[in-house]
Amino acid sequence: MLQIKNLSKCFEDLEVLKDVNLSVEKGEVVVIIGPSGSGKSTLLRCVNLLEIPTGGEILYQGEDITHLGKKVTDYRKQVGMVFQRFNLFPLKNALENVMYAPMKLNKVPVKDAKEQAMDLLKKVGLENRAHAYPSALSGGQQQRVAIARALAMKPEILLFDEPTSALDPELVGDVLEVMKQLAKEGMTMIVVTHEMGFAKDVADRVIFMDGGFVIEEGAPQDIFKSPKNERTRTFLSRVL
Amino acid sequence: MDLNFGKAINTLGPSLLGGVGIVLYITLSGFFCALAAALIIAIGRLSKNKVLSRTLSVLIELIRGTPLLVQLFYIYYVIPTLLNGILSMAGYETNIQLKASTCGIIGFAVNYGCYMSEVIRSAILAVDSGQREAGLALGFSEAKVMLHFIIPPALRNSVPVFGNYLVMLIKDTSLLAMISVQELLLRTKTYASQTFLTVEAYTLLAVVYLLLSIPLSQMTGILERRLKRMP
Repeated sequence: MLQIKNLSKCFEDLEVLKDVNLSVEKGEVVVIIGPSGSGKSTLLRCVNLLEIPTGGEILYQGEDITHLGKKVTDYRKQVGMVFQRFNLFPLKNALENVMYAPMKLNKVPVKDAKEQAMDLLKKVGLENRAHAYPSALSGGQQQRVAIARALAMKPEILLFDEPTSALDPELVGDVLEVMKQLAKEGMTMIVVTHEMGFAKDVADRVIFMDGGFVIEEGAPQDIFKSPKNERTRTFLSRVL
Repeated sequence: MDLNFGKAINTLGPSLLGGVGIVLYITLSGFFCALAAALIIAIGRLSKNKVLSRTLSVLIELIRGTPLLVQLFYIYYVIPTLLNGILSMAGYETNIQLKASTCGIIGFAVNYGCYMSEVIRSAILAVDSGQREAGLALGFSEAKVMLHFIIPPALRNSVPVFGNYLVMLIKDTSLLAMISVQELLLRTKTYASQTFLTVEAYTLLAVVYLLLSIPLSQMTGILERRLKRMP
């Protein structure tokens, strides 16, 4: 479904991604781990073109998406993104946050958009907070609204950029639960996270990145039990 | 010294009331034109087009570096003369004249538009970049992101400052006396020179300005507190 070939990304003189190769199949849950500054988030942001790659290509269903021009918006509709800092729209309540994009971009009638949004809020366990504004929601609740908002556009792939890193420890569980549920339903997901437990339990494949390269990839049991690369071992020994 | 406020109120009062209508008309039209201009200038200043943003910042410097009164004179006297001159060189004899009140509205729109555009520009820059990214990630174009997610909170955060500008604008309408708009100051000046009730006339004028500006700044305060309480 998604193939990343020889991807590189420079910010002025700083080369953050160097020759990254990765492919993701439909229905797969790929978890990317690695130390800070290893390029994980940049890779994810390149996938939905919030960052424009410096070199290489990204094939989505066989088509290179790095030179889409104005059509990039059509591509982004198919690729949902959940951010570390939630980025909900502060002047809209939870329900409006979820129904806004389908209404404005896909011309879904208000009534249908509302119904769908309520269903999604129910799915993330927040139907009783539908009319609360982001400022009145906890971090975990905001993140679950953000997931519902991304799902409202019926994406083919969901990208998660450290979705639990800004949360208080006791709020992490609810968000991970929602993500597990999505994985179970067959959603294709690329997740950048420091939650090793989630990676072990949910990932079909774990990618370890360091210094702008994919150092190692494999099934979670292989990566966590018997990492082949020295850098993977050092990293895991520090976080586990 | 004999003061005769009763006479001043009875004779100058009705004339000032008439002037209030003109002042409010010019203030409101000028303010909303300024608001529209400010939004356009702010977006232009933030555009990636270097020529456009440089041109606009030169315009802002020109406007901020010259007095409003001079600008009003320029619009009222200089621009029509220039236009007539240029057209006569092209073979058309014209006698373009602008209505003084229209010049006032144009002057305020340009002058306040420039000042207010800087307020909007910094409010736009202050909107969290995460909002833009969230909008883009959902599939909104850059322009739609601006329209749906950046400008509304930026404008909302600018409301208190806009309120202050509105109060300033009401008082600045007194400058229009210099280009013969029959606003409050000109009416008072004429009255005072005819009746020699100088103290009474100008005191009354000051009171009328206060009656206009105090409620307005109170309303701005209330609006500001309301907005703070909202999400």
